[in-house]
Amino acid sequence: MAVDVHAPEAAEHEAPHGPPPRKGLKRLTGAGWLRALWFMPVAWVLATLLVIGCRAALGYEPLWELQVLIVAWTVMVPLAFLAGLGGFDYWLYWISGRPSRPDDHSGHGARTWKDYFRVNTDHKVIGVQYLVTTIFFFVAAGLMAMFMRAELAQPGMQYVDTNTFNGLFSVHASLMIFLFIIPAFAGLGNYVIPLMIGAPDMAFPRLNALSFWLLPIAGLIMLSSYLVPEGGAFAAGWTNYVPLAVNQADGNLMFQMGVQWAGASSIMTALNFLVTIITMRAPGMTFWRMPLLVWANFATSTLVVLATPFVAGSQFFIMFDRVLHTNFFNPELGGDIIAYQHIFWFYSHPAVYIMMLPGFGIASEVISVFARKPIFGYRLMALSLMAILLLGFSVWAHHMFVSGMQPWIRVPMMVTTLVIAVPTGIKVFSWLATLWEGRLHFKTPMLFALGFVSMFVIGGLSGIYLGSVPVDIHASDTYFVVAHIHYVLFGGSLFTIFAGIYYWFPKMTGRMYDERLGKIHFWMTFVGFNVTFFPMHWIGLQGMPRRVADYAPEFGNWNFVISIASFALGASTIVFLYNMIVSWRRGPVAPANPWHALTLEWQVSSPPPIFNFDEIPQVVGSPYEYGTRGARHAILNGKPTETGRAAEPMEIIHS
Amino acid sequence: MTLVGVAVGAALAVVAVFIPWLPDAASEQADLIDSVYWVVTIICVVVFAVVAGVSGYAVYKFRAPPGDSDDGSPIHGHTGLEIVWTLIPTVLVTGIAIYSGVALAQAEDLPPDHRTIEVTSEQFAWTFTYPDIEVEGGNALTTGELVLPIDQAVRFEITSKDVIHSFWVPEWRMKQDAVKGITTRTTVTPTELGTFPVICTELCGLGHAIMRSQARVLSPADFEAWVEEQRRLAREGGAVQGADLFAAQCGSCHVLADAETLGQVGPNLDEALQGADAEFIMESIVDPSAEIAEGYQDGVMPSNYGEIFTEPQLEGLVEYLLEATGGGAR
Repeated sequence: MAVDVHAPEAAEHEAPHGPPPRKGLKRLTGAGWLRALWFMPVAWVLATLLVIGCRAALGYEPLWELQVLIVAWTVMVPLAFLAGLGGFDYWLYWISGRPSRPDDHSGHGARTWKDYFRVNTDHKVIGVQYLVTTIFFFVAAGLMAMFMRAELAQPGMQYVDTNTFNGLFSVHASLMIFLFIIPAFAGLGNYVIPLMIGAPDMAFPRLNALSFWLLPIAGLIMLSSYLVPEGGAFAAGWTNYVPLAVNQADGNLMFQMGVQWAGASSIMTALNFLVTIITMRAPGMTFWRMPLLVWANFATSTLVVLATPFVAGSQFFIMFDRVLHTNFFNPELGGDIIAYQHIFWFYSHPAVYIMMLPGFGIASEVISVFARKPIFGYRLMALSLMAILLLGFSVWAHHMFVSGMQPWIRVPMMVTTLVIAVPTGIKVFSWLATLWEGRLHFKTPMLFALGFVSMFVIGGLSGIYLGSVPVDIHASDTYFVVAHIHYVLFGGSLFTIFAGIYYWFPKMTGRMYDERLGKIHFWMTFVGFNVTFFPMHWIGLQGMPRRVADYAPEFGNWNFVISIASFALGASTIVFLYNMIVSWRRGPVAPANPWHALTLEWQVSSPPPIFNFDEIPQVVGSPYEYGTRGARHAILNGKPTETGRAAEPMEIIHS
Repeated sequence: MTLVGVAVGAALAVVAVFIPWLPDAASEQADLIDSVYWVVTIICVVVFAVVAGVSGYAVYKFRAPPGDSDDGSPIHGHTGLEIVWTLIPTVLVTGIAIYSGVALAQAEDLPPDHRTIEVTSEQFAWTFTYPDIEVEGGNALTTGELVLPIDQAVRFEITSKDVIHSFWVPEWRMKQDAVKGITTRTTVTPTELGTFPVICTELCGLGHAIMRSQARVLSPADFEAWVEEQRRLAREGGAVQGADLFAAQCGSCHVLADAETLGQVGPNLDEALQGADAEFIMESIVDPSAEIAEGYQDGVMPSNYGEIFTEPQLEGLVEYLLEATGGGAR
């Protein structure tokens, strides 16, 4: 096997790249953190003066109106940050007719850790930036869950007041959804997709960099809502239902504005994925030869582009109702409260698939490689992704069976909801069939992928209960729903994110993670997860509503068990972080293809060369030809690629 | 493989049947919903047993020996199998959809001899109005707890004065959001006597967790007696009735030694009302936001007592509280 090693240290001694560093005061005007640091307070002052000036000119009282100021600040300060960092330099030079810097790709690659803190157009650097940033927000949101479980460990109020509690679960969900699951998949896709399709980079590298830098902005806006005086963080849940959202304290605006930045980031990345996948596939890479992860991101990106504008719109409407005194959701003046839920869920149900389909793709890659078998029913696997995409747009009102909307729509929406179980079932059965007569290697990514399949089945089955209108009338808005979404988003999305991170860790860092710690992490997560979330089905059906800071004493024992298990689950993250940090610094050097996978990203060095491939590969076959001796996915000139191996009968292994 | 599947299925069936997953069913609608629940549960147990059986068997049987460097069989698919596992789930979900649709129609069927009760929600209280029961002064009977006769269908007409709330009695299974500006409806026919919690299940702000009331289901004779008692209380007022009212309506949130109540949600009235005059007590009941006791949040105590209680009732309650807290000396 060809071992092609780029030791990370070797690169650090090369000359620093990018334009030569500026000296003296010029450092303040050159693109970078220094310029961003003084741009931001200037923008803050300008925004404040603009608002106060306009209000004074129009005679509005009071001049210092926090709601309006928050809107101005959360628009102008982030823009100043991006401009300071150099996010718009190229375009501004080009627009103003000044000579734009020749695009010599000197910004590609990362030679030291500092390069990860610069605007970088290399999809591999951006992928890592995405993952590290999202894991930061994952830890922050996880800590909020720990605070909630501490409060809920026994009946009565102990540590926080109800307003803080409502803020905790609202910010927890918002960060997990908008700043962790969705962008973590975007980060993995960013790193892997160009490599998988044989492309040197994404189609729009500068747009790619910009969409990354919008993320920390969105996350910091949401986090800093805790600092808003009087009322603190937004506390109407991540669904932000009106009229509660309109009535709430000023912190609620931080959700509306944060979602805009995260949504913009999401849309830009999705467009980038779509154009990259459609136009930049290597010769021979037909759609039917694409790895399923690429298919999954193709479907996901289509969903993002079509659906995300709706959540942006729904939050703009709330902002207008608050700041401009429009009456979209004020029934006394003809507004419609339930309309908000329709618009919100028209995005937020497809968002469940935005958070799930890339995970399906990761599971397909991992299971095929570690079972040493072709993925079972490849074409139906790809088509079922597209079926979920289409059906995903026709089920949004199943979140609203008890909302008071027109009753007739419930039964059609129930039918489409239940029908989604069919393409989803096809995927689950095909993964199981892929295991059949395979040779299973239980490395950490495989454990998480198999954990995903079993946990996701439970989440899918509890979805059947909630899809059935009569059962949903009883179970909606209870802890049963909390259990369901965590089986789908934790047991589903998070398990596949972990599978993907472990699977591509050697490719990204050039180092191997610690397998023993990986397995400890898996088992702590798997057991802790089930003990935490499975009993929630029961307490929900028994009558415990969700989103409550306090509950009836008869649920005290189970909540205590759940809280203890959740702390163990939280502790498993420490094992994960330790493994990642230590292995990244000192892990054994990884070979190019530690898993003997056939897909293209494993045929180049770990980490890959700056432009991925020295020559564009020629794709000659399916990416999953395990068990066929000599079968290749692609030909890379001058480099040996992995081939399928013989399938020896295994009858004597376990008699 | 079959063995693993049967074992998992049997274990699940035990868990599904012997753990009381649902609270007691106390309405006709609950029986219908529970029947759908059990049909779905049977199907889900079978599906999960198949999945667990196949994956458990595969994980045991097909694991690679250490140092193995061969591939598995190059099986790319099987059209017959793929058709089977597309068709069977399609049939199952179609069955569930039809069964659910029929049960839904039956649960929402409204018999002609039903009673209508208006449910008004606000942060953080429920008010129940009986439009066909008249009390003192020609008003409809209005209460803070829900009292129903057994075996009579009730049409709830639900609305909200502010944000969205949701009306739910777990033992009745039926749930319906309350939305400002529109009237939503749900039907319940209680079939069991007893006292059940009324719970708000839609996040409605600071006091969401304590936005609760209770539903009492009485025999027809007891219900008539209760109605008469309400008429009398509305008519007479006075400190004795005030004591009854306090125990029924206020004690779950307030400590008061005289009434032997122990609620911890709101201020201890033995302390908070010490030496207070009638005017202050009246204001604290009908407009609780006017003055907030130290250490407590505004907006938690319902602001609708001025509407639930008649004038004689309010006066009786104030009179009782003056006596019980030793105030009114001024």
